[in-house]
Amino acid sequence: MLKIQNLSKSYRTENVETTALNNIEIEIKKGEFIAIMGPSGCGKSTLLNTIGMLDSPTSGHYWFNDEDVANYSEAKLANIRKHNIGFIFQSFNLIDELSVRENIELALLYHNIPSAERKERVEKVMQQVGITHRANHMPSQLSGGQQQRVAVARAVVGDQTMILADEPTGNLDTQHGHEVMEMLQELNANGKTIVMVTHSPAHAEFATRTITLLDGQVVEPALKAVS
Amino acid sequence: MLIYNYLLSGWRNINHNKLFSSINILGLAIGLAAVTLITLFVRSELSYDTFWKNADTLHRSHIVFKIPGRDPFKAVSAPGPLIHALKKDYPQVTQASRVANISPAIMVGAETFIQQVSLVDKDFLTMFDLTSLSGDLTNALNDPHSLILTKELAVKYFGQEDPIGKTLSLDYDYFKRDYKITAVIENSVSNTQLPIKALALIDENDWTDRTSLFAQWFSVNAQLYFQTKNPSDLDHINATFDDFSNRNFPKLPIGGADAKASDFIELSAMNIKDLHLHAVGSGEMTERGNATRVFIFSAIAVLILIIAIINFMNLSTARASQRAKEVSLRKVMGASRSNLIFQFLGESVLVTFIALAISIGLVELALPFYNEVLNKELAINYASTDMLQITGLALIVGILGGLYPAFVLSNFRPATVLKANKSAESSASVKLRAILVVMQFAVSIGLFISTAVVYSQMQYAEKMNPGFNKDNMLLVHRIGLDVVSEKLDMLVKEISKTPQVTAVTWSNETPGNTNENNTMLRLPGMSKDDALLMGQRGVGYDFFATYEIKVLAGRTYQKERNDTPLATAQIREGASRKSSIVINSSAARRLGFNSASDAIGQSIFTSRGNPNENLEAELEVVGVVDDVHFDSLRATIRPEIYNLNATWGQTLSVRFNGNPDTLKTNVEAIWGNAIANIPFRYSFLRQDVADMYKTEQGQAKMFAAFSGLAIFIACLGLYGLANFTATRRTKEIGIRKVMGASVFDIVKLLLWQFSKPVFIANLIAWPIAYWAMSDWLELFVYRIDNSYILLLSAIAGIGALLIAWITVATNSISVAKANPIKALRHE
Repeated sequence: MLKIQNLSKSYRTENVETTALNNIEIEIKKGEFIAIMGPSGCGKSTLLNTIGMLDSPTSGHYWFNDEDVANYSEAKLANIRKHNIGFIFQSFNLIDELSVRENIELALLYHNIPSAERKERVEKVMQQVGITHRANHMPSQLSGGQQQRVAVARAVVGDQTMILADEPTGNLDTQHGHEVMEMLQELNANGKTIVMVTHSPAHAEFATRTITLLDGQVVEPALKAVS
Repeated sequence: MLIYNYLLSGWRNINHNKLFSSINILGLAIGLAAVTLITLFVRSELSYDTFWKNADTLHRSHIVFKIPGRDPFKAVSAPGPLIHALKKDYPQVTQASRVANISPAIMVGAETFIQQVSLVDKDFLTMFDLTSLSGDLTNALNDPHSLILTKELAVKYFGQEDPIGKTLSLDYDYFKRDYKITAVIENSVSNTQLPIKALALIDENDWTDRTSLFAQWFSVNAQLYFQTKNPSDLDHINATFDDFSNRNFPKLPIGGADAKASDFIELSAMNIKDLHLHAVGSGEMTERGNATRVFIFSAIAVLILIIAIINFMNLSTARASQRAKEVSLRKVMGASRSNLIFQFLGESVLVTFIALAISIGLVELALPFYNEVLNKELAINYASTDMLQITGLALIVGILGGLYPAFVLSNFRPATVLKANKSAESSASVKLRAILVVMQFAVSIGLFISTAVVYSQMQYAEKMNPGFNKDNMLLVHRIGLDVVSEKLDMLVKEISKTPQVTAVTWSNETPGNTNENNTMLRLPGMSKDDALLMGQRGVGYDFFATYEIKVLAGRTYQKERNDTPLATAQIREGASRKSSIVINSSAARRLGFNSASDAIGQSIFTSRGNPNENLEAELEVVGVVDDVHFDSLRATIRPEIYNLNATWGQTLSVRFNGNPDTLKTNVEAIWGNAIANIPFRYSFLRQDVADMYKTEQGQAKMFAAFSGLAIFIACLGLYGLANFTATRRTKEIGIRKVMGASVFDIVKLLLWQFSKPVFIANLIAWPIAYWAMSDWLELFVYRIDNSYILLLSAIAGIGALLIAWITVATNSISVAKANPIKALRHE
């Protein structure tokens, strides 16, 4: 599905250059469920954003479906992204002014899909995540777990093959967190590739493989045993 | 200490949010400057003639002649004999004086000046408290050989010498007289309808050859001021004026035996303080103001102020959420709500005072242009209470603008704000802001439409074919004076010889420079009681050809034919001969002829001499010419006849080609050689015609300037608001971008958000502007069609939308371009 080679990312503020990712080498196959772990500030989110094409690498290669997208323009990336990648965030990032249904539909609005088909797909995905009874509620009227279900529904409604989740359970209590993880596992079973950043070793257990980052570098699996 | 902390935090806030602060301050400064300028104008307009000691009891009489089949003729002057009847019939009238302005040639030693002199009755000096600089005013007009000069004229004629007792000679053309200077008075102020340069006494015996001035009931050539015992006497006089007219006016020449004077004549009187803004009619000594205009500009001032305050409130409340944290922390530290209200009000007043300082600078920069457009001498008087008033205004604006934000901000609950870390703004304040933006745009669009309508009407007046050619025509004035009249033939010949000149004629009146002069006309079969009143003008040979007025049928006056009319004296002696007459097409219609050519060869009778003489002259219509606009488009073209003045006129009209300045120099040289002593006075016809619309033009310019400012301030606010909204919606924009929205999608989204209020504003502004401007257009008999207002409204609407789009787009694009992860991370 994707292959990252020799990829680095650094940020430059006025006089300090910070290296967020340093010579990363990763390959992810279709259908995998990857958990990315590591302490705060190790570059997990930067890696996820780079995979999600929200951020461009400073150097290196990024093959997505055999296309090197590392130097693509923003518009080109946006186009690949909207057809292939769905996002789930820790803070849900729903639009406060839109209802549950409208929030989910938003992901289809930029796909040139006719209105009738959009409605149909939204209804279907709401059923999948069990939020149909809240379709007309506003995000502020939902619990955190329910909000995250909406976000999951939004991430998959466009038939994206890969889902990127940035600490999807970080704002949820244990029970709701567990529900969301089960939902992701089910999606993975249905063929979606999932890349998830998490702090929780328990939730990392749901993944088929774990990548650990430390100071912007992938740590060898050998070290994992030590920790 | 707390105050210091407030000031510090206030100042840092201003400093920190440079964009918001500059928009706020600039908007307010322009708003305050506009309001100050308009207030100066309005105050000056309202101050006219309020300074006279007797202002409450001084009044002027006005008259309306209601002429069948014509626009009523309204005058602010009065028949000469009215003064005597008024004093006789009304015991309430204690004093009265006519004021007739005459422009004699004034000879001081070897020098000649043409100067306006006001001829008045003796009461004038006790009615009006003039300031004497030298000489005793009480006895200054005891005889018809005394003359009072203003300081300006005294210095002009006598330099630094004491003028009292000096003599000079006035040539009225009818007679000549030596006058002795008896007093010098202070120059006339600018805010009066009674600007005096020189005063002399009326002696009716001097004017027996020219009865129209002081002796005729149906001529109005002098104004009449009178004083009553009490201010309320005015109401009584106005209520009983009809009976008074019926008692005093002689039998009318129209309306038959049963006609009463009050059927055709309407007398009224108005207090002197109201004259400048409320008087109606011709015969004013100096340009009047206009109550509607004062009202409109006051309204514009209020609207601009509202727009500026709305901006202020909008931007402050918009920023409220950004300051929510500061408010919450202050509350946690123990600040009470009133502490916070005080702090935010103080901040808003601080901003207003910075704006005030800038606005005073703007006013001083604008005043020279402003005064030129308005033909006034307005200024801020820093030594008077002006500054106090302006400061008061700023204080009110600061408090009004700060009140709502202060209450919103101080009402934040710290727990919610600090914990939730989300937009602290209530939906009510979002809604209020939307309403305020709609109001701003409605006002701006309304002003824009009004400006466009006024401007279009001006263009229409300018471009409309007046029926004559107003270009390339030099007018030489004052040829009616005896000394010039004698040499008219020679002047015409000499000027015609000038290479640039193509035609020369003379006439009593020229377009834009007319008198109301009427005569009775009847067809042979008509009884005298059914005679029609029509306008008449005196023209010389070649008048129609020189003015390029279209001849519809027949011919115009020709020297080779015996077109000269009989003199009244000849008719008195029994002479009877048909004279030729040229009439306009309205007159032909009014006389009942089916077409212009039907009128040719027909006889009409015109009355001559005094009304009681019953004299008539028989005229044969030899030509019918097209209707032309001698007067402004506000007046309907009247039916009129053009009498031939074979040897006499007031103005010489010279049609030319090539350089106007060269021509003027050449004609002036000819004048100088032929006529010593009388100064050369000229004008160009095009300018005279344009001057008829001077008031409207000034109004149009002011309108344009202030509505431009209103729109600018509104756009400033919109810019700030769009910028704020874009910031506030950063998260949403980020989400949408992650979902695949392009930069264009995002900009479109924001544009639409700001298009809605503009649409609604159009819906509000259009009907109001349509109603107001169709009303204004009614003032003009010849005007653009009302459908133009709709067209201009559409243009204004689209313009406003475009301006809003440009404003919003300029700062949306950068927000839309930003990397979405930044937006989503800031949670």
